[in-house]
Amino acid sequence: MTKEEIFEKVVEIVRPYAKDDDAMEAITLETNILQDLKVNSARLVDVILAFEDEFDIEVEDEDADAVDTVGDAVELIHAKVA
Amino acid sequence: MPSLPTRTRVALLLQREVGRLMAVLWIPAMGFALRFGLRYRIRNAAELRNRYRALVRGSDGPVLICANHLTMIDSALVAWALGGSWWWVFNYRRMPWNLPEYTNFAGHWFNRALAWLAKCLPIVRGGKRSEVSGVLKRIQHLLSKGETALIFAEGGRSRTGRVQLDTIADGVGRIMNSVRGCQALCVYMRGDRQRSWSTIPARGDSFYVDFELFKPDSEHSGLRRSRDFALQVIEQLVTMEERYFSRSGATA
Repeated sequence: MTKEEIFEKVVEIVRPYAKDDDAMEAITLETNILQDLKVNSARLVDVILAFEDEFDIEVEDEDADAVDTVGDAVELIHAKVA
Repeated sequence: MPSLPTRTRVALLLQREVGRLMAVLWIPAMGFALRFGLRYRIRNAAELRNRYRALVRGSDGPVLICANHLTMIDSALVAWALGGSWWWVFNYRRMPWNLPEYTNFAGHWFNRALAWLAKCLPIVRGGKRSEVSGVLKRIQHLLSKGETALIFAEGGRSRTGRVQLDTIADGVGRIMNSVRGCQALCVYMRGDRQRSWSTIPARGDSFYVDFELFKPDSEHSGLRRSRDFALQVIEQLVTMEERYFSRSGATA
């Protein structure tokens, strides 16, 4: 699976949790999930669990620490599915 | 569980030992302020504290105190309710470490100094995950060394006045998942006049406090296991809250 394909899916997974519609429309790899999209920090775990389900991967707590931006999530998933 | 850098471990040791040296001043002062300044009263305090002390004596593993959260001084109230004042002075190692929101007290040097003395490790909720993780690792380290910590399972103060299932703090599950043998001491506390969330409870309020020790289990692994643990802790608090309302006949 390419990073572009992962990015597309990540965007769709994050969308329901994002509270900033403008940031969501302008989403890039550099977009910060908590600060820019205003995803509730408690909800970030739900987002990452949704990544697990969608990509059939398992994420450890330490892996999740590295996820600040959409790009971080794409890199993590890409490394797990490779 | 990853070990902490030596510098961090020394900093924690220094914080605890300075707090211990000053404990004879700040702990009774805190208890005095709660009891006589704000005129708070813990219902069945003697029985509650005896139960807690017996539990601590009989406990053979790390204990993470997981409480519901309605006011900004809940951590002080929970500690006072469970241990009183002087017991903590003479059992300072048992005094729980806390994870207060940094922005709530960082505005004045006195608050920062008091928080440091009172075994607080500030955390910025919603901050960078690597920074939040650093604080959680310190708590994991302390628990693995037999210390006690207090965390609010809902992350922040409940905006509904009831335990909120939709704002789970993932730190609770993460700590329990990573510290071998860690048990959750779920504490439900509520002032009789507490209808919703607030800065501090009403002056002169009387508090119902109950606690239960339990060890969550999960068939999952990784992040999902941590989430499962956190969910079980919250559900335990919900059960305790339902018991409170069914006994008291009160409504939130």
